[in-house]
Amino acid sequence: MKALSSRKFILMGLLPATLIYALFVFVPVIWSSYYGFFDWSGIGEAHYIGFDNYVEIFRDPIFWTALNNNIIFVLASVFGQIPIALIVAILVQKDGRLTRFLRTAVFMPMVLSTVVIGMIWQYIYHPQIGILNFLLQALGLESWQRVWLSEDYGIFSLIPPLIWSFVGLYLIIFIAALQNIPGEIHDAANLDGATGARKLWSVTLPMIKGTIIVAVVLCISGSLKSFDLVYIMTRGGPAHATELLATYMYNSTFSSYRYGFGSAISTTIVLISLVLIGISQWIMSLKSKSKT
Amino acid sequence: MRRWTKTAAGLLLSSMVVVSACGGNGGNNEGGTAGDKVKLTVWHNWTGQDGKAIAMRGLLEQFEADHPNIELETEGLPTDGLKTRLRTVAAANEMPDLFVMWPDVMTKEFVGGDLIQPINDYLDSKPEWRDNFIENALDGYTVDDNIYSVPMNLAPTSFIYYNQAIFDEHNVSVPQTWDELLAAVETFKEGGVIPIALGNKANWFVQSTIFSTIGDRITGSDWFLKAASQDGASFTDPQFVEALEKLQELGEAGAFQQGFNSIDENQMVQLYFQGKAAMFISGGWAMANVVSNAPEDILSQTHVALLPAIEGGAGDPASTAGVVGTGMGISSKLEGARKDAAMELLYALAGPEGQQATLDSATLVSYNIPLDESKASPLFVELYNLMQDTKISPVYDSKLSSAAVEVTNNSLQELLNGGDPQTIAQRIQDAQAAAVKRQ
Amino acid sequence: MNSAANSSARRATKTKQAVLWTLLTVYGLLTLYPLFWLFLSSFKSTQDFFNRPFGLPEAWKFENFSNAWESSNIGQAFGNSLITTLGALAITLFISLLAAFILARFRFRFKGAILAFFVVGMLVPIHSTLVPLFIMMKEISMLNTYWALIFPYTAFALPTAIFVLTAYLATIPKDLEEAAFMDGSGLWGIFFRIMIPISLPALSTVVILSFLHSWNDFSFALVLITSTGLKTLPLAIANFADGYQTDYGLTLAAMTIAVIPTIVMYMIFQEQVMKGMTAGAVKG
Repeated sequence: MKALSSRKFILMGLLPATLIYALFVFVPVIWSSYYGFFDWSGIGEAHYIGFDNYVEIFRDPIFWTALNNNIIFVLASVFGQIPIALIVAILVQKDGRLTRFLRTAVFMPMVLSTVVIGMIWQYIYHPQIGILNFLLQALGLESWQRVWLSEDYGIFSLIPPLIWSFVGLYLIIFIAALQNIPGEIHDAANLDGATGARKLWSVTLPMIKGTIIVAVVLCISGSLKSFDLVYIMTRGGPAHATELLATYMYNSTFSSYRYGFGSAISTTIVLISLVLIGISQWIMSLKSKSKT
Repeated sequence: MRRWTKTAAGLLLSSMVVVSACGGNGGNNEGGTAGDKVKLTVWHNWTGQDGKAIAMRGLLEQFEADHPNIELETEGLPTDGLKTRLRTVAAANEMPDLFVMWPDVMTKEFVGGDLIQPINDYLDSKPEWRDNFIENALDGYTVDDNIYSVPMNLAPTSFIYYNQAIFDEHNVSVPQTWDELLAAVETFKEGGVIPIALGNKANWFVQSTIFSTIGDRITGSDWFLKAASQDGASFTDPQFVEALEKLQELGEAGAFQQGFNSIDENQMVQLYFQGKAAMFISGGWAMANVVSNAPEDILSQTHVALLPAIEGGAGDPASTAGVVGTGMGISSKLEGARKDAAMELLYALAGPEGQQATLDSATLVSYNIPLDESKASPLFVELYNLMQDTKISPVYDSKLSSAAVEVTNNSLQELLNGGDPQTIAQRIQDAQAAAVKRQ
Repeated sequence: MNSAANSSARRATKTKQAVLWTLLTVYGLLTLYPLFWLFLSSFKSTQDFFNRPFGLPEAWKFENFSNAWESSNIGQAFGNSLITTLGALAITLFISLLAAFILARFRFRFKGAILAFFVVGMLVPIHSTLVPLFIMMKEISMLNTYWALIFPYTAFALPTAIFVLTAYLATIPKDLEEAAFMDGSGLWGIFFRIMIPISLPALSTVVILSFLHSWNDFSFALVLITSTGLKTLPLAIANFADGYQTDYGLTLAAMTIAVIPTIVMYMIFQEQVMKGMTAGAVKG
């Protein structure tokens, strides 16, 4: 009797989410990956060409530039956003006026539209009237002045705005997890004389390990999809220097009008993301095994 | 417990059913005739506060007032948004009744997908209108002898906007030849002024405003059209490589300020407005911005000129690259009273009165009408008069395939950063050849 | 000797603390600055904006706000954004928590497959789904209704929501539910009376993320809504910015108006995150 009702509950409970998700995400994704096998401009007749689009993608140097840039983004996000967010979260989790201010301030870039963030950073990096070059000059470091969003430095110049605008996301996730650690555990650790760094390593981090894994997955998937910030700040240029997989896909679809090709790129993005997330999960499971 | 289950599932399912049952009239084309009123959906990009956008919105309102039996459902979108949305609805064969449409590539693709209908009959019923367009104005809207729209304006893409005061201060006169241009660049650079402000972040900019004209000066239009159709000419030909080298030479001479690939057109014009640059090169569209936003002391010193001649080139030096402006596409699904209404609206926007209103808003038109010089800004009068003796040569992005345009735009950014002209020529050739083969 | 070392060590920690908090405060100010910049710039004229992008307004143009509100139907767009965002939010919260409850607490076949199925959704670049979604919406006659946005917003928010909630529930001991089950509470009863309060911190995170995601969406709104009356805020704001004639003061004023609800949302739910499980546990 109990088994029966719980099976029914499982079905009823999963149904709405699965249905809506399947209909409005999964079907369009499969549909679009189907277009990936066609030479289609988005208008008129489509020609089936098998895996030709995929062959072309892997031969296209721009794809490799984009993939390379995307991996830089993933690494910068995972090793930039998550540690910063974690440190800030640990420091500001106690209630107080200053911590409350910090919690809000660090999150604020998240609420702003990317257009605004792009505008500000463009003026920071502006080659003639930008703040950064102005500061360098004021400090007597003229030789450090650069055209920041250029072929040579563009992709690295995009990393600070990227990290800076998403730290807030992981901050609230970590704060939620930290609040969740029962007070007794802190008390016990304190009794054992664990303080500062040692308490952090031996008590706090293991307690929120699950959350850190969640954050890493969100971070990888988020930075592989990055589009807005780069599209607004550089449009993937100059000369593809800051191209990402998502801008490459968008430009192929809506600028070059190669809808089939664009769909093939987007399928490739999903596949690459799955592989990267699989690898990251594997690495983290290895680590936790070696510890225990 | 049971009740909870049922209510939750029931709510969700019924909401979906209700939604699909009363989901509006579904699409844009089935609006049809509500009562006696003819209803048309119109999509445009006249959303800004500039003179032309205001004039066009005014024409739409006037049309509704004049035709009480026609109801317009208009929707304005920024240009990029309009293009993206048109691509999407085109894939689903759901065009709006009338929409702002670009000549050449877009028109051809929409005709190929059977999405729009020709206007030949209507045009022929008004010969005085049809015959008053400037030479070749309808070419971009013509596919297989059928005409699908008419241009509502004209977009020459390369003029030098220059500051006379800065020129005088450095004793430079407007360059007539390539060498004079290079000399002027040298002088301004030594004087600590940016010779030519440039904003090429949206990478079509150099291609459209500088390279299309330089290319035409050297190769001539005939060669370019042949190369574009891959019929007896190739982008690896020496004259094209020479054109690339010329542009690179200009860049290497230091004509543009540092970081031109990372700022946009708006920021480019601002450098000029702030008096930091002696010139900028842009299309006729920049006029409205200059006239309404330039500081008084800059505006009074600003004049326009063509790009200089290039010795030994095959092109006509008294020309600028350009395209006719946007027209209105008419959905192929329209017929009967709705089709008639659509044609009337086209005439209201692109007919003599519409063209006059556009010209009065300081925008050039592809239609022969005089400018009322007493009403217009002196700088616009200057541009209008300059255009009277100037021919239009093809802009690269209007004749090349979309894929080749993307390659060209990106390659020109690379070229100005020291890329190899030969390699770039080969790349453009490959892209265009592949696209022509695909057709 | 010993005490001297001790006090100097304490002084060292104190200095360290001071440096640390100063650094944090500077970082906080840096992250807060864009909001301040947006606010200041929204009082400028276009020329002023370009001439001194980081300065104070030359003359404070308060009329930017009233002009922005009146032109381009910002008021109506604001309402549309609220309806679609809150609609999607309500559905997302309910069904994602339900699914997470089941995925975290029950054992059944295909559980791994279902989780993986949802994870794919976090990896999809949304632009590739625009054309298929448009065609689908047309077929089920949903184009130009609020549902044309509510469903995709919900569907694209679900994977992250389920992922975050499932992971959160996995860290919470099952004592409370087991006790309730012993007391004879049914599964729905447990869901409503225990799971919802217990998940509040994670739910608040989901609220903040889903709200931001739908509120700022441009692409879906551009393609799936074609009637002027249903336009959402990001589209209405984009109309101010057209090429050469962008009035920056006006655009930024509109953006300032648009950002207020997200800040309010954040303030409210951030408090919930902070209250943490302790509050939920007491209730249960």
